[in-house]
Amino acid sequence: MSECDLMRESMPLLLTESLDPARRELSHQHIEHCAACNREWLAYRETWRMMGDLPEVEVPERVRERFLASIPTDGEVVIPFRKRPAARWLAQAAAVVLLVGGSYWVGHRGAAVRLQPTPATINAVAPYSIAESRVLPARSVSPNIEGRPDIQNVSFNDPNPNDSEIGLSFDITSHVTVTGKPTDKSMVRLMRYVLENEDRMSPNRSRAIDWVRATYSRPGNADPEIAEALGNVLRNDEHQGVRIKAAETLNRMPGAMAFETRAALIQALKSDPNPSVRLKAIEALTNLARSGVTLDPAAVDMLRQKASQDDENLYVRVKAAEALSNIHP
Amino acid sequence: MRSRIALSCVAAVFLASNAIAEGVTLTDRISKEIPLYIAGSFWIDNPVGSIEIYGSDLPNAVVTVTRTLNAADKETLKEAREQTVISFEGDPNVALVRTLLPPVRHGWSCSVSYSVRVPRTVHVKVAAKLADQIRLTNISGNVTVKTFSGTITLDNVTGPASIDTINGRVVYHYRQKPLAHAQIQAVNADIDVFVPPDSSFNWIVDTIRGDILTNLPLRVTGVAETQFRGGVNAPGGPTLTLQTILGTVRILATGPQQPTPRSIRQAVVSQRVTVQKTVALQPSQRIQLPFVEGPWFSSTSVADIAVGEIRGPAHVETRAGEIELGVVWGECIVTTLGGPLNLGDIMGPLTARTGAGDILIRAARDGGRIWSGGGIIRVLYTGGPTTIESGGGDIVVRQAAGPINASTRSGDISITADPNQKTQKIQARTDQGNVILNVNPRFAADIDATVMTSDPDSNAIHSDFNLTIKRDRVGNRTRVRATGKVNGGGERVELYAEDGDIHITTQSTAPVTVMTPVQ
Repeated sequence: MSECDLMRESMPLLLTESLDPARRELSHQHIEHCAACNREWLAYRETWRMMGDLPEVEVPERVRERFLASIPTDGEVVIPFRKRPAARWLAQAAAVVLLVGGSYWVGHRGAAVRLQPTPATINAVAPYSIAESRVLPARSVSPNIEGRPDIQNVSFNDPNPNDSEIGLSFDITSHVTVTGKPTDKSMVRLMRYVLENEDRMSPNRSRAIDWVRATYSRPGNADPEIAEALGNVLRNDEHQGVRIKAAETLNRMPGAMAFETRAALIQALKSDPNPSVRLKAIEALTNLARSGVTLDPAAVDMLRQKASQDDENLYVRVKAAEALSNIHP
Repeated sequence: MRSRIALSCVAAVFLASNAIAEGVTLTDRISKEIPLYIAGSFWIDNPVGSIEIYGSDLPNAVVTVTRTLNAADKETLKEAREQTVISFEGDPNVALVRTLLPPVRHGWSCSVSYSVRVPRTVHVKVAAKLADQIRLTNISGNVTVKTFSGTITLDNVTGPASIDTINGRVVYHYRQKPLAHAQIQAVNADIDVFVPPDSSFNWIVDTIRGDILTNLPLRVTGVAETQFRGGVNAPGGPTLTLQTILGTVRILATGPQQPTPRSIRQAVVSQRVTVQKTVALQPSQRIQLPFVEGPWFSSTSVADIAVGEIRGPAHVETRAGEIELGVVWGECIVTTLGGPLNLGDIMGPLTARTGAGDILIRAARDGGRIWSGGGIIRVLYTGGPTTIESGGGDIVVRQAAGPINASTRSGDISITADPNQKTQKIQARTDQGNVILNVNPRFAADIDATVMTSDPDSNAIHSDFNLTIKRDRVGNRTRVRATGKVNGGGERVELYAEDGDIHITTQSTAPVTVMTPVQ
């Protein structure tokens, strides 16, 4: 039986959260990496969800009566009981006596089975720590965040300013601090989660962006996933101050901006109501062009449009025009 | 339709591949005659390279193409040669010549130059991207040029012309009086138009940062924002519309003994503005002064201004630009309709205003009024009553030694009261964001803090002082209100945040040291 088959067999248990933690983790890891099982798992979940949504319907009386009436009551489907003859009963009883007696006789003739005692040893036990607060190294945290865990009270810290490690603390079922290098995948994913988790992180997002700017604008720390998360913040956040900070932070990591992030900047330049966001989007695009990246035609067109737009703030127009002088399409 | 390259054309191919250190270069040339009616159209699309088109009385079009390829090695050169395609399409009504290039080119570059002879009456349409030169000569049909960069020269183009470019320069030589409308739109390009001195035409010039220079008897009939309108010599005639965002426009008469060009902007300003030392609507400039003795007044259209010290009051206005003032010994009024403000030590009352951009103020000793249409406002020290408003963006006051009234439509407000202040009036309001107030533990006040939220589980009031907290429903939202007298009561502190938290902390902070500059 292949690994996929085993996983698919365990999916109902996974769905009902009946698997032990180790197998659950293994199953999730397999599902993450196996496209076929991933599809299967999504189908299971969807089906499960749909089943949960289905209403419980009483069988209508009319249907019930029709069903019962359809069951034949004549003798066609009834197997008649036939009385067994007494001789057959006697033969069966003799066979049982013979088997039991024979077994007893053979057992008493042989030597007794003895088991050699072996010392029981416990090789490794992971101590279960009951603590108010715990610190986890980022390498021990899976970079894949399942579902949308409700993390609260996010804070950032630098436990030891002399090393390159940073810390991100939050409450989940207990207070957790994950420490690691800013470039650790788990740390990047956590940062991204904090940045993008709109409904729960809103009061903290401004501080999160300040921290991200301080950490990820350093040479070598810029990460496309962080840039993409900032792009999403720029696109979706209602908080103008947060959008200003997101654009400003993107301006400091031009090397990490992928197509989607650039699209977020172009969108901000096009339609953000705050002129400061538009200005910072222009600055980020200019910085991107200066770093040697060839801007796509959409960015050039948008800058051109802004430079010529009569009802645009004059300074935004001037900055857009200046940006165009730095671009080599 | 694509036509085959005619055998009758002159084909000269010379290979210039050499073993220079980095790679190989190939230059080849083809020439082709294509049928084109005298009332037809000639379209050319060349992303990289120069284009020259000249009109003649001969029929048909003759296209000479010079293709130069640079590659790292011979294999790449072969690829470049295969992928740089010259396409001849169309029919005698509309002839189209195109350079076809792959969007991404690895390890090679190319430049394709065209020299085209066309019947002078045809309509010409040019599309380019990176061109060194685009030159059109002796064309009487319609001319349309669109490019990203390069110098565009129109010489004796008498038909209607429409030019659209971003960088570079546009030069238009009228050998005869202008007879048709012309529209030139540019972003960073200067526009030079040369006309015979007796020409009559209307003109519209629009430039944000450049100037308008002429030696013609230009009449100005209208000024609106960045746009100037007028006429030359006799009324009527075609209209030349010249727009460049950052460039300068020159409309100059040709011929000997022409007067020195003058600035139309300066002329308009001298007629209209009477304020002493004011240079309103002047062309863009960068004003850099280390020191101004006495009062200083400046009013510009687009300017970046940097002044080290002003020994007197300062009144600075610009329509767009960055303003940086070091020390101002007096009242300071700074206004830009767009651009960041960076102000140092302001001794007198301050009025700082920008339509868009961040504001940084190191010290506003007498307080004042600070406003940004959108941007982050940071004040390191304020010593008097200060009102701060942002249309959207954070407000940070590092040390407030006077009453503060801060409000933003969206953003966090962070105020640290001067640790030496026992009480002071503070008002902070954000329509979307958090308010953080930090005072010393002995700070006395009547605190009234309100959070209005749709998510009462996330938004709350956190205070290091004991305050009475009440919650009630207002419509479908929750109002959290914390009130109380702290340290016996004092000035009123009103804090209001929508969809955010309020934090009132009593952390001790190092006070900002504001040194008095030596006068």
